[in-house]
Amino acid sequence: MGKSLMIVDDSATMRKIIMRTVRMSGLEFDRTEEAGSGVEALQKLEGGPVDVILCDINMPEMNGTELVKKARELASCSGTKIVMVSTESAQDLIDQVMSDGADGYITKPFTPEKFQEKLAPLLN
Amino acid sequence: MITTMSLRDSLLDSAKEVFETMAFMALEEVHEDQEAPRLEDETLLGTITFKGSLEGCLAICCGCHCARTIGANMLGADPDEPMSDDEMSDAIGEVANMVMGALKARVQDEVGTMEVSIPSVVRGRELRNSLGDRASKITVTVNLEEEHSVQFSLLYRESGD
Repeated sequence: MGKSLMIVDDSATMRKIIMRTVRMSGLEFDRTEEAGSGVEALQKLEGGPVDVILCDINMPEMNGTELVKKARELASCSGTKIVMVSTESAQDLIDQVMSDGADGYITKPFTPEKFQEKLAPLLN
Repeated sequence: MITTMSLRDSLLDSAKEVFETMAFMALEEVHEDQEAPRLEDETLLGTITFKGSLEGCLAICCGCHCARTIGANMLGADPDEPMSDDEMSDAIGEVANMVMGALKARVQDEVGTMEVSIPSVVRGRELRNSLGDRASKITVTVNLEEEHSVQFSLLYRESGD
């Protein structure tokens, strides 16, 4: 069965860039969807889970770290892999969000190779 | 304490990293004795603020045509394809955000934690930003793809906290 992907970022441009970079990385998803905030992402996840979430941290309304915690409370998302994609590079923040339930972390700016390196192991 | 020169070098290196990685565009610093391509009359100013032991604002300023080219390159689109004002502003805001992130990664060992805002973008003519008295300003002008002029600036001061 094909994999599904959700990209969560308040910038529509960044969502498109991430989608393009995922394609360039050679990773394939049968279904992709986008959310412009943590709140919108959570509403979509309550309607049905996805295999992978790529999630920004600094967002208005509900930031990425809050989304990770709330997604982990949803039984339907127990198998969902969540990878943060952020300009934040402080190790204490990365450690915190990983302990909150994220499965990986990619810093912006990024390359297709970085997506391949971080996402491929999570898809197997 | 971090020096003006090392902040300047870090700002330029951060801008280069972002443009080369995300927009696939080369940029070269324009030195004081060199002539830069003229900045267009109507410009976009993307800013992002930070606070910590250093507080201030990082800005990118470029013409609208230049912003459209940057946005198209980031999205892998044809520069002649129509791009809405919102998309153009969003792209410049993201550049400001990523340059700030790359700068923060380079200097945070020296200046400590920097809390960063969400970027904002304004459009107009002869746009300027200011942080009032006691602020230092670093400006780096770059030549983008030998066609466009882009200005990066860092306004900062030591926090009174």
